[in-house]
Amino acid sequence: MCTGSAIALRFFDSPTSKPGGIDRVTDTAQSSLAHSAGQKPPFWRNVTFLKWAVQIVVLALVVGAFWFLAKEARQNLVDKNLEPSFNFIEGPANFQPGEGIDTQPDTAGRALWVGMVNTLRLAGLGIVASTIMGVMVGLARLSNNWVANKAAGIFIETLRNIPVLVQIILWFAIISQLGKLTPESGKLGGSFFVTKKGISVPRIFLADGFYQWAALMVVFFAGLLFTRRKLQAKQDREGGDQKVGTKLFVLTIVAAVVAAIINPIMSFLGPVFDEFSDIWGDIPRSLMQTALSLIAIVGAVEFIRRFLNSRRTPAGLAKLDDDDWFRMIFAGLLALLAVGFFWKAWPGLSSWIIHSGSDFFGVAGDKFGDGRGARPFDAMLPTVTDGNIANYAKTGLTMTVGFTALFLGLVFYTASFIAEIVRGGILAVPKGQSEAAAAMGLNRSQALRKVILPQAFRVVMPPLGNQYLNITKNTSLAIAVGLSDVVQVGQSVYNKNNQTLAVFAIWIAFFLTLSLTISFVVNTINRKLAIVER
Amino acid sequence: MIAPDTALTPEMAARDDIITCRGVKKWFGDFQALHGIDLVVKDREVMVVLGPSGSGKSTLIRCINRLEVHQEGDIIVDGIELTNDLRNIDKIRSEVGMVFQSFNLFPHLTVLENVTLAPIWVRKKPKAEAIDLAMALLERVGIPEQAEKFPGQLSGGQQQRVAIARSLAMEPKIMLFDEPTSALDPEMISEVLDVMKVLAREGMTMIVVTHEMGFAREVADRVVFMEDGAVVEINQPEPFFTAPESDRTKLFLSQIL
Amino acid sequence: MSDTQTLVTDDAEEPAASTRPEIPIVPPRRWIKENLFSSKSNGVQTVLFSALMLSIVRWLLSLIFAEASDWTSVTTNMRLLFAYNYPAAQFIRVWFCLGVIIVAAMLTMGAWNAKPEFSLRKMAISTTAGGGFLAVIWFMCTVGFGFAPLQKVDGMSSGLRLGTFLLAALLIALGLGVLNFVHEPHKIWIKFTTMLFALTGSVLGFLWLVPFGRYEFADGEVINESGTVATSTKVPWTYMMLLLVGAYFVGRWLRQFIPEANYRMVMIVWWIVGPSFLIFHVLRDPAFDMGYVFRVDVPMALAFGLGGGALLYALAKPGRGEIARAIGAVLLLFAAYNWLTAGLGSGHLFGWESMLQKARITFLMLSFAVLMAPTFSGEPAARRRFAYGWIGFIAISHWLITGINTPSTLDIAAPPFLGGFVLTLAIAYYVFLASFPLGILMALARTSKLPLFRVMATVYIEFIRGIPLITVLFFFSIMINLFLPNGMSIAELGSVFVGYTLFSGAYMAENIRGGLQAIRKGQYEASDALGLTTVQRTLLIVLPQALRVTIPNLVGQAIGTFKETSLIAIVGGFDLLRIGNSTIPAQSVFQGQKRPALLFVCFVYWVFSYSMSRASRRLETKLGVGD
Repeated sequence: MCTGSAIALRFFDSPTSKPGGIDRVTDTAQSSLAHSAGQKPPFWRNVTFLKWAVQIVVLALVVGAFWFLAKEARQNLVDKNLEPSFNFIEGPANFQPGEGIDTQPDTAGRALWVGMVNTLRLAGLGIVASTIMGVMVGLARLSNNWVANKAAGIFIETLRNIPVLVQIILWFAIISQLGKLTPESGKLGGSFFVTKKGISVPRIFLADGFYQWAALMVVFFAGLLFTRRKLQAKQDREGGDQKVGTKLFVLTIVAAVVAAIINPIMSFLGPVFDEFSDIWGDIPRSLMQTALSLIAIVGAVEFIRRFLNSRRTPAGLAKLDDDDWFRMIFAGLLALLAVGFFWKAWPGLSSWIIHSGSDFFGVAGDKFGDGRGARPFDAMLPTVTDGNIANYAKTGLTMTVGFTALFLGLVFYTASFIAEIVRGGILAVPKGQSEAAAAMGLNRSQALRKVILPQAFRVVMPPLGNQYLNITKNTSLAIAVGLSDVVQVGQSVYNKNNQTLAVFAIWIAFFLTLSLTISFVVNTINRKLAIVER
Repeated sequence: MIAPDTALTPEMAARDDIITCRGVKKWFGDFQALHGIDLVVKDREVMVVLGPSGSGKSTLIRCINRLEVHQEGDIIVDGIELTNDLRNIDKIRSEVGMVFQSFNLFPHLTVLENVTLAPIWVRKKPKAEAIDLAMALLERVGIPEQAEKFPGQLSGGQQQRVAIARSLAMEPKIMLFDEPTSALDPEMISEVLDVMKVLAREGMTMIVVTHEMGFAREVADRVVFMEDGAVVEINQPEPFFTAPESDRTKLFLSQIL
Repeated sequence: MSDTQTLVTDDAEEPAASTRPEIPIVPPRRWIKENLFSSKSNGVQTVLFSALMLSIVRWLLSLIFAEASDWTSVTTNMRLLFAYNYPAAQFIRVWFCLGVIIVAAMLTMGAWNAKPEFSLRKMAISTTAGGGFLAVIWFMCTVGFGFAPLQKVDGMSSGLRLGTFLLAALLIALGLGVLNFVHEPHKIWIKFTTMLFALTGSVLGFLWLVPFGRYEFADGEVINESGTVATSTKVPWTYMMLLLVGAYFVGRWLRQFIPEANYRMVMIVWWIVGPSFLIFHVLRDPAFDMGYVFRVDVPMALAFGLGGGALLYALAKPGRGEIARAIGAVLLLFAAYNWLTAGLGSGHLFGWESMLQKARITFLMLSFAVLMAPTFSGEPAARRRFAYGWIGFIAISHWLITGINTPSTLDIAAPPFLGGFVLTLAIAYYVFLASFPLGILMALARTSKLPLFRVMATVYIEFIRGIPLITVLFFFSIMINLFLPNGMSIAELGSVFVGYTLFSGAYMAENIRGGLQAIRKGQYEASDALGLTTVQRTLLIVLPQALRVTIPNLVGQAIGTFKETSLIAIVGGFDLLRIGNSTIPAQSVFQGQKRPALLFVCFVYWVFSYSMSRASRRLETKLGVGD
C-alpha cells in the first residue's frame, strides 16, 4: 500500500490561480446581499440563456430554410401556372386502376381511394400471411430435427439477403411465364386457379346488409362482455371447468346468425346519421375557427397549469428558474401562432373539417338508409369462360399477376425476418422457466401456453410491430409491378394534372396515419402484456 | 437550527471558509430533498457526513459540485458563487474533485487514459506532462503497474483508487467522496480508506459521505449528521460517537453500530 | 494447446486457446439416429422436409434450365451488369479502382491485425455438404425420381452435367477424406494465409483451366465460343488475385514500422476519402482546365486553408473560448445567411457564380471548426495539429469538389458514367457515409436535455420512419429542383442520394439512440465532475461507448441500405436491378429474357449481403469475447 513517505506530489498546495474574469466573492456576507438583490451573470455567460438562444437560433434556421424552400417552390409553381391545390380530387380520374373495389372510378379522389383500399388489403393480407409463415419457419428453426432445422435456416438466410424489390420482380417474371389459361390448366383443385393471369379464389364480400349487421353486433358484443363477466364469476366461485371459452364461442356464433336475420331493424340509424350530417354541415366557419383556437389556447393553458403544478411543492410554489419561464412563454407563443394560423393563414382547414365531418355522417346515413336489409355477406366462385377469368366483382376473387408477385415477395421476405424474431423470442425465455413449469406439474402444452408463450410474446412484440410497419410501407413497391396501390394511382394522377405536391401530401398523410395506427395498436398490446406479466 | 460553525476548534475557526452553504433548498418534483442547509467547511478540513439513506447527504455534495442544481439559497465554493454563469461552473468543476460510489471509470479508456483525460482536455496540459502526473498519481494510490489495463480488468478497490487518482489529476482544492466504499467487497474497503487517510493527513479539504464509522472517528475534523434533508447535529467525532446530543443521532448510531 | 497442430507456421504468435471453441465429435451413425430419427414424429419430419427441400431445388433447377432461359444473356452482358456503359477502351480505370480497393482492404486487415482462422473439420463438413448438394443437382438433372414433383429436370447440357459430377465427386472425396483420414481434424485450425493461397490457386485454376466458354457482347454481336473465359477477364483477375495476396503480406509487414493507432487512422481516413477519389478522379477522369484551376481554385483553397488555419491556431489558445464561440456564431450566421440568400441575386460571395457553392460549403465548415476550437485548445503542439488538420481537410475537400465540378473527359454513350453494380455500391457507400453523421446528430438531439432540439429530432425521425422510401425518392427525384432557387440544380442521381440519405439518417438515428441509452448516467456525471465540456463529453466519452454498442446494428443497417439501393431502379438509376429487369430484356438478341438476368441479380445481392451478415456475426462474437 501507499505509504506517507512515498509522497511524490502534494495535492493541496497547488498554486491558487486567480485569473481575471471570475467573480470571486471575497466577503461572503456582502455577497449574500448582492445575490438576493438579483445579481446575475451577463447574458452571454448565462447558461440558461445560451441554451435557449442556441435552440431558438437553430429552430429559426430550420424554419427559415423551410420557409425559403417553400417560397421558391411556390414561385416556381406559379411561374409554371401550377398553383398547388386539392381541387383535382373532384376532377375526372382519366385513369383506370387495374384492380380494386372500383375499376372505373369517375373522380381522381375515388381513384386514390381505390388505391388506398388496395394498399390496405395487401398490407392486411401480407401481415396475416407473413405472421403465419414466419411463426412456422421460426418453430421449424427450433426443431430438434436436423433437416427441418437446416431447411428453415436456408429459407431465412436466402430470403432475407435478397432485396425485397428484386424478389417481387423475380416473382413477377416467373408468374408472367406460367402457362396460358384454359378451364383446365393451372387449376389447383376446386375453385383455385394459378395461371399467368394471376391467382383466383372464391370470394366472400360485404353485401348491403353489412352495416346494419355490424351495428347489431356492436350491441350484442356488449351483451357478450357482460355474459363473460358473469361466467367468469361463476367459474371463480364454483371452480371446476365451466367451459367459459366454449360457451362464449357458441354464443358469439348464435349472435352473428341472429343479427344476420334481424338486421333490418337497425335501419332507423340512417335518418339519425343524416340529421347529424345536416347539423355538422351547418356549422359556420367562424365557429369552427373559434373552436380550433380555443383548443390551442386551452392546450397551452393546460400545459402551463400542469407545468406549474409539477413545480408546486407542499411548501408552496418552488422558485421558477429562467428555464421554466422560457418553457411557459414558448408554449404561450406557440398557442398564439396556432390561433393566427387558424384565422389568417389557413381558414381552409376549418372548412375542410366541416366538409369531411358532414360527408362522413352523410355516407353513414346512406349506408344505414331505408330499404336495406339484405344479407350481410355474400360469396361467389371464380369461373373460367373463354380463356379469361371473369372480373372478380362478378365472380371470384382474382389476384392479378402484380398482386400475386407483390404478395409473395413481401410475405416471403418479411416471413424470413419474423422467423428470426420468433426464434429469438422463444430462446429468450430462460430454460429455468420451463423447468419450473414442469416441476409444478404442468404438462408441455400447458407450460407452453401459460408460461413460455406469454413471456416470449413480450420479447417478440416490439420487433414484430416493426416488421408490420415495414410490410405496410413496402406495399408501395407495387409501382414496380404495375399494381394500383395508392402510390401508383397517385403517380398516374399527377402525371395527368401535374399536382405533384398535393399528391405527395396525400401519400404522406395516408402512410403516416397507417404507421401511427399500427404503432398505436402494437404499443397498446405491449402495455397490456407488460401489465399481465406483472 | 444548528449554527454552521458549531464545534470548530479555535485553530480551525481562524482558517478561511472554503465552502459556504446558506439556506440551500432543493426539490425533485414534489419531493423536497434539502430543507435549507447551512454549513461552513474550513480550508483543509475533513468533514464526514452521516445519515440514513434518503437523508439528502449525496444530494448536498452533488449540489456543491453542481451535478444537481439547487433552487434556493447560496453555495459559495472557494469564493465562487454557484450561479448559472458559464465561467463559474467550469471553474468549480476543475477545483472540486469527486469520487463516486460506483467508480464511474470510463470503460473504453485505459487506466492511464482515464487519469490523463481531464489534464489534457480541461487543463490543456502537454501530453507528456499529463502522463508524468498520472503515473505519479497512480504510484501514489499504489497501482502504477495497472496503467495500461482497462478498468474492467481491475478489482473494485483498484478501480476506486484509479477514480481517486483521476480526480486528483485535476489538482483540485476540494475532494468530495460520495460513499466511496459502499460498492466494494469488505476486503477491499481498507485499501481505499488508506488512500483517503493519506490525502486527509496531507491537508486536502474533503467532504466524505460514508458509513465507515471507524474512518469518521479517525480522520474527521467534524461529523455532520443529516436526516430528511436537514442538518440534525454537527460535532467533533469523539463527542459525536460517545455522547450524541440529538435523539435521532442516538437512534441512528444504535442501529448502525 | 500442446496437441494443437497448425498446417502452416509462418507466424510465430499462437492464438489464444480460449478463442477456439471445442467442438464435440459425434460418430455419423449416432448423429443420424439422434438428429433425424430419434422418434416417430422426428422421422416424419425428416421425410417431409427432405421431400419439400428436394421439390424446391427441383423447381429452382427447372427455372434455371428451362428452355426459355437463355443464359448467354447474362454471360455476355457481364460488363453491362457490373459497369453499365463504361467505355471498354477505358476499362483499365475500373480494374485500377478494383485493385486499389483490394489493396486497401488487405492493408485494413493488417491495421486491425485481422487473421481469421478456420476449423478444418467445419470446412471439411461444408465441403462435403457442398459436394452433396452438387450431387443432388446432378441427380435431378440426369436421373430424377420419376414422379410428379421430383421428375427429372431437362435442359442441363452434357458438358455441364459432367462438370457438376466431377466437381461433386472431388468435393465429397476431399471432405470425407479429411474427415476420415486426418487425425483429430477438429483440433486443426487453418491459418488465413493458407486460405488466401488456396483461394488464389483455385480462382486462377478455374480461370485458366476450366472450359466455361468465351463470351462477349459488343455492338449487338454475341460472341460465344468454346474455351476458357475471355482474356479480357482472366488476365486482370489474375493480377487482382496476385495483388490480394501481395497486399495482405505488405499490410502485415507495415505493422512493424507504423504505430498501430496511426495505421488505423490512415485507413479510416482512406475509407472516407478514397472511394470519392476513385469514383470522381479515376473513373470519371475530370478534364481540368489548368488555367482556371491556378487562377481560381488554388488561390481559394490557399486562402481558406492558410487563413482558416491561422484563425483556428489563434482561437485554440486556452482562455480564448468565449471569443472563439462568438466568432464562430457570427461566421455560422453569415454562412446560414449565404445559403438562404443564394440565388436571390444579392448574396453572391466574391461575385463568382461557379465558386459560390464551394465557398459556401467551406464557410459553413469553417464556422463549425471555429466553434470546435475551444474544445481542441491546448498547448502550441495541440493547436498546430488542429490547424494542420484544417489545412489537410481543405486540401482534400477542395481537390475532390474541384474534380466533381469539372466536366469529364469520358466519351460515354448514355450520360451517367456510373451504372450497374458499381452504381449500387457507390450509392450504398455514400448513403451510409452521409447518413452516419446525420444519424449521430439526430440521435444526440433526440436524447438531448434541450426540449426544442428533442422535438425537432423526434418530428424528423418519426415522420421519415412513417413513410415508405419510394415516396421519399419520388419526392426528391421529381420535386427537388422545384424547391431550389434559380441557378442551383442537382443532378438526378444527386437528388436521389439526398433523399435516400435523409431517409437512412432517421433509421441510423434510432440505432444510435439505442447505443446512447445503454450508457449509464454515471458516465455523464463523472465527465461533468472532471470539468469536460459538453462537446468533449460527447466526443470522448459518450459516442465512443455508444457506437461500440451499436456496431452490430450498424452493420445490419449497412446491409439494409445496400439492399434498398435496388429502389433507385424505380426512380431512374441504371443499377444492377434495372439492367437485369429492363436493359437486357430490351436487347434485340435477348428479347424478353428476364428470368436468367434476375436470378443472377438475386445471386449477386445474396452473396454480398450474406457475406456482410456473416462478417457482422463474427465481429459480434469477437466484440463480445473482447469485453
